[in-house]
Amino acid sequence: MPELDAPSTGAPLVALVLFTLVSLGLGFVARWAERGAFLRRYFLGNRSLGPLSVALTAAVMSGGTFLGFPGFVYAFGWVVALWIASYMVAPLTVFGLLGKRIGQLSRRTGAITLPDLLRERFGSPALGVVTSLLIITFLSVNLIPQFKGGAIILKTSLPDSWIGGFSGILPGPVEDPGYLLGLLIFATTVIAYTAYGGFLAAVWTDVFQSLVMAVGVMILLPLALIACGGLGAATEAGIAQTDVNYAFGPGAGRAFHPIGLAVSFFFMWAITGIGQPSTLVRLMAFKDSKTLRYAILWVTLYNLLIYVPLILIFIAARGILPELERPDEAMPALVQKLTNPYVSGLIMAAPYGAVMSTISGFLLVISSGLVRDVYQRLLRPTAPEREIALVGYGATVGVGILAALVATRPPDFLQLVIVFASAGMAAAFLIPAAMACFWRRATGAGAMAAMVAGALTVIGLYAAGIIGRNLFDYDPRIGAGSAIAPLYLLGLDPCVWGLGVSLLAGVLGSLLSAEPDPDRVSLLFDLQPRDAPAPATLELHPELGHPSASPSPDPASP
Amino acid sequence: MPIPDPTYRNARREAIVILCAWLASTLYCCAYAYLFGYDRAGRPLGVGDIRPVLGIPSWVFWGVMVPWLACSAFTVWFAGFRMADDDLGADLAAELDRDIREAAEHGGDADARA
Repeated sequence: MPELDAPSTGAPLVALVLFTLVSLGLGFVARWAERGAFLRRYFLGNRSLGPLSVALTAAVMSGGTFLGFPGFVYAFGWVVALWIASYMVAPLTVFGLLGKRIGQLSRRTGAITLPDLLRERFGSPALGVVTSLLIITFLSVNLIPQFKGGAIILKTSLPDSWIGGFSGILPGPVEDPGYLLGLLIFATTVIAYTAYGGFLAAVWTDVFQSLVMAVGVMILLPLALIACGGLGAATEAGIAQTDVNYAFGPGAGRAFHPIGLAVSFFFMWAITGIGQPSTLVRLMAFKDSKTLRYAILWVTLYNLLIYVPLILIFIAARGILPELERPDEAMPALVQKLTNPYVSGLIMAAPYGAVMSTISGFLLVISSGLVRDVYQRLLRPTAPEREIALVGYGATVGVGILAALVATRPPDFLQLVIVFASAGMAAAFLIPAAMACFWRRATGAGAMAAMVAGALTVIGLYAAGIIGRNLFDYDPRIGAGSAIAPLYLLGLDPCVWGLGVSLLAGVLGSLLSAEPDPDRVSLLFDLQPRDAPAPATLELHPELGHPSASPSPDPASP
Repeated sequence: MPIPDPTYRNARREAIVILCAWLASTLYCCAYAYLFGYDRAGRPLGVGDIRPVLGIPSWVFWGVMVPWLACSAFTVWFAGFRMADDDLGADLAAELDRDIREAAEHGGDADARA
């Protein structure tokens, strides 16, 4: 059976080094380009993102998009087209459902973080604190597998002489010096350019890797279709190597994607993607609503050019590389097989870049929570700008180092950790964000109930699955066959239950609690004069009155 | 009687249309796939049921690829021509920063003083 060869030339390393240098360069340029007050420029890029930046950074792409997804197509066949199908509508849902209102509310409240936004929208400091704690917990958990992913990609490209030399300077024997060296180089790079360049550096690296990947896919598509002798032949090869369900649902080999999960994944990609804090922050950072419209158009085109070809390419891979032992290696193996070493290095640098930009985004969301919601709000509200900036840089570096240290001994089942954290965050934050945008009667108590109930539901279903497997040999027999699986109640993914319970709790919690302050609601839902105060200002200075009662002739909206 | 903010009104209208598009794509894709592309009890599928269109199994072509194109066309029409360019208002980040400091100097929290 063919296996992924070790890199035979230095080309992949050259590509990774080039990629790293470009990322560091973007960090420097981003720092140079930023102006204005520290918190807003460092964590939100001064709300100046253009259409292409919004499109290619808020889309739900990570290293898994370029490694895990092709592996699924290779392993389970055509049903994976249905698994990813909700990307057809994801540009509209992820940007269009809440984008405009999140952009407006974050400006009207002055919010620069998600906890800021919910706290000011509902007038609830407790909600801000709980939001911060949940974000910091979920994203910190999610950082560790990302660091491991980056370190592994780098390790496979490092020359043996480097690893040997690194082993020599270590104080004692270690199990995998190549991994440690990869982690050291990777963590240093990503922490350095993120801490120095802030939000814009993370965004620009994201755009860069997305464009590289698009070029790579366009190169691979014709090569793969020619090499496999056509999709019909590749499908026949897949059936011969697995079973007839390679061409049908629920997938080859096992019930990978029964219809309940198919419905769930229309929630998973198109709906839960909105609830990720890193996405919501980007929705606070776009320049204007025209930018949002153009971003939707860009990402629609991008999804069409990336995901549909990826399905065809990795169906074709069955005819080119029969019976790979590890489907996750389908992408690097196919790239090595079909392209020259330098093109191969460039294409494989894209998932590396995707992991880098994912980490940058997470680091900034966590450090913004620590700086704004913990340090400035709770510890030192009167801290001068310079002090806030120093704490900001320190928090970014500190969180990065801490996550990298934990990643020296990473837990197993990394993909599960990522899926669990993403589902948990969506179940916690999506409904409160939607209530904040569209429901006047929503209250802080309702938002809190929605957040806690959603998060607990997802955590509970994962815990039930893990306990069930260990104590009662529970095997759901559906999904990818991960060593640990959640409880798929009625065949649906936990994210669907999490969102449903969160919605119910949010509605009940709001209706059972006192009505919200009408002045605050009016400030955020009614036509206001351009000089209307922020909700916090109105509370400090009630003499500013009831702005909704007398809209000025110079309204905020045309 | 306060006048609802036009940006809020437009955003709500657009959100309803988008939710309908998501629901339609979910129902169509999942129903089509289940009816024509899923091996299930009482309806086993064989190689003869692939009926490829451009090399793609028929159920994937009509159940995923064609709706993907249709959805993309709808998105271009809706985002390109139907969504409104609304004013998002002034950015009050500096005011909030000032409020946090002022509230602290008065010995409390801006929100807690309501």
